[in-house]
Amino acid sequence: MRPVLKRLPLTARVALVAAGLMVLLGIVASQQVLRTLGLVQTERIRELATTHVEALSVALGPLVLRNDVWEVYDTLERAASASSKGRIAFTAVSDASGQVLAASDPFRAPTGSPFDALAQEAQALAGLNFSGSQATIRLTAPLVFQGRRVGRIATELNVADLVAERARVARLLVLWNALVTGGLALVGFFAMRRMMAPVTLLAEKMSVSAEAPEPITDRELLSMESEFGRLARTYNTMANAVREKAEAERRLAERERFVSLGRLSSSLAHEINNPLGGLLNATDTIQTYADNPEVVRKSTELLERGLRHLRDVVRVTLEQNRIDRAGSPAGPDDFEDLQLLIGPEIRRRAQKLVWEIEVDQVTLARFPSAQLRQILLNLLLNACSAAGQGGEVSLRATEEETGLRLRVVDSGPGLDDAARQRLLSSDPVPPGGGVGLRLVHDLVHDMNGKIEVQRTSSANAIELVLPYAKEVDN
Amino acid sequence: MRRFSRRSLLGFLGAAVCARPGYSLGSDQFKLGITPVFLDNDANLLDTLGTALSEASGFTVEFEQRRTYEEVTGLLLQGAVDAAWLCGFPFLQHQDAFSLLAVPVWHGQPLYQSYLIVGASDTATTLDDLKGAAHAFSDPDSNSGYLMTVTDLVRAGETPTDFFSRSIFTYGHRNVVRAVAAGLVRSGSVDGYVWEVLATEEPDLTRRTKVIAKSEWVGFPPFCARKERMSEPRIRAFQKALLTLVEQRTGKQALDLLQLDGMALGEPDLYAGIAARMRELEALR
Repeated sequence: MRPVLKRLPLTARVALVAAGLMVLLGIVASQQVLRTLGLVQTERIRELATTHVEALSVALGPLVLRNDVWEVYDTLERAASASSKGRIAFTAVSDASGQVLAASDPFRAPTGSPFDALAQEAQALAGLNFSGSQATIRLTAPLVFQGRRVGRIATELNVADLVAERARVARLLVLWNALVTGGLALVGFFAMRRMMAPVTLLAEKMSVSAEAPEPITDRELLSMESEFGRLARTYNTMANAVREKAEAERRLAERERFVSLGRLSSSLAHEINNPLGGLLNATDTIQTYADNPEVVRKSTELLERGLRHLRDVVRVTLEQNRIDRAGSPAGPDDFEDLQLLIGPEIRRRAQKLVWEIEVDQVTLARFPSAQLRQILLNLLLNACSAAGQGGEVSLRATEEETGLRLRVVDSGPGLDDAARQRLLSSDPVPPGGGVGLRLVHDLVHDMNGKIEVQRTSSANAIELVLPYAKEVDN
Repeated sequence: MRRFSRRSLLGFLGAAVCARPGYSLGSDQFKLGITPVFLDNDANLLDTLGTALSEASGFTVEFEQRRTYEEVTGLLLQGAVDAAWLCGFPFLQHQDAFSLLAVPVWHGQPLYQSYLIVGASDTATTLDDLKGAAHAFSDPDSNSGYLMTVTDLVRAGETPTDFFSRSIFTYGHRNVVRAVAAGLVRSGSVDGYVWEVLATEEPDLTRRTKVIAKSEWVGFPPFCARKERMSEPRIRAFQKALLTLVEQRTGKQALDLLQLDGMALGEPDLYAGIAARMRELEALR
């Protein structure tokens, strides 16, 4: 019962509780009415019986004194036939010696038979109680005439109509209470549902999207009053704040895509600038020795190599941020590009790069190129930055049964708490520190991958396991 | 209740009338004494009979109703009533003072019987079977409702007190039938004419009883007046009214209600059978 009740909606529960209370009230009220009815009926019966006995005492007194059997019978019989609704079912009168003098039904109580048999199970008039469901009430009372007791009267009153009336009242009460209670419970149910409608609406709005709750519209707000109105406005404020925050995070993540490139810009500028001096020298040489074909040829070759290098650098840079790359599969080219991108940074810091790619083209094709590049570029740039001048950075990519394992190791001091939190947890974080790590976390998370951070005395390792995506299998 | 009220009223009227002294000579009223021994429960019957007798006699005939024959006989003896419908037994008791005005004719004869009745399911078939039973008489001055049964007992060497465990007087033949039917008593002595009339008027009542013995035919309860007043014109006029009742329309209606054929002049010899029983009883005392 309890769990069932708990599973019911609040509106139904409140209505049920209200209906239950109404039923309880109805029962109590009905009991009261029936009790009062019983008292009224008892009083009525007592009055009737008293009148009956008193009238018989007056009429029968002298007849009993004379032992006039016939007149006693005649009086009883006429009294019985004159009583309304056949109320007096039976009456017997005894003389002073305790023998029946006459009864309204002589077959039942013959003249001369002992009166005590009739008086048994009979109530005394004084203490009359009428609560049972019997159709008759037996009463006994002394027959007093001229101040002395001349005999006794035993009478049976037919109260079937009163019992039936009580039963009818009880039935009507039950029916009426059931109707009223049912009706009020129904009204209560709808009233409760109406009153609880804002809560229901709020619950619906909140469950639309766990990430960004939908605010309550102004039109819906109009129907809410008092506490619910305040509640709804507070909810809207909170919902808007959540949406703004989500929007800010989205924009932040968007920006992070470019952060890695920003960090590369100076080394990329050097990468472009350094060959430019050589290339300009080559053009001077060509202009100066225009008539020397050998010099021109060598200078032109030099020029071509330089320009090709520049072209590669520009291409890789463009590739890194091309939006239409999204969805295209990864390949060995991506690792070569990454090496090219990270190369200037490594050289600038005079670091040692260990590059171990033990994954074949087919396996790589099961992963999206853009995400893989973003993840690895960010991790490698962080590794370079952490390893410092003359440090060591390594990337190792291996195939596993479950997926692709990527391990980036640097000789730096390891991630601080803020950076570690950005990388490993989904909780909101304050901006700043560990640049790009949240982007790595989000991308890995989207690919259902796992991130682990390992720290040894001399090295710091970040290991990713990216499971094979099913759709790529096809 | 209706009957009770009416009887009370009549009793009250009777008492008021009784309080006035002497005869009502010269008055337009003619008082006729009757008892509830007879069919007293039919107001329509009494009204019709009163009207018929008034129309025929030219007086306003009023009924003086009393509970017992003794009381009515007393009224007639005192002269508080002009005439009375008595039983043969009280007539004979006061034969020196009363004269017969008319005797009702039933089934062609001025005769009737006494019936001994018991409950419909009773096994008794004779009076002897009723020894030790409770018995109902109608009136100690009734022929059919007392004298006949008592003399039968006397002939058998019994007395009512010893023979019956209890005997009660109901002062009404119809009451005897009621007492037997209700089981208040086992047996009763009742006017055969009354029982037969009840059998057609209230068959539900008589059906609960059965007749186990009938007496010889004896003189029907007569209308009587004081002997010395028989020559008075008003008495003669009333007698004529009785005798010619059958010739009038209302009179015929009343007789039909009473289930009587008419009225006839009666001689005291008609009551010889009752007189014989009276003598038997007298001898015992």
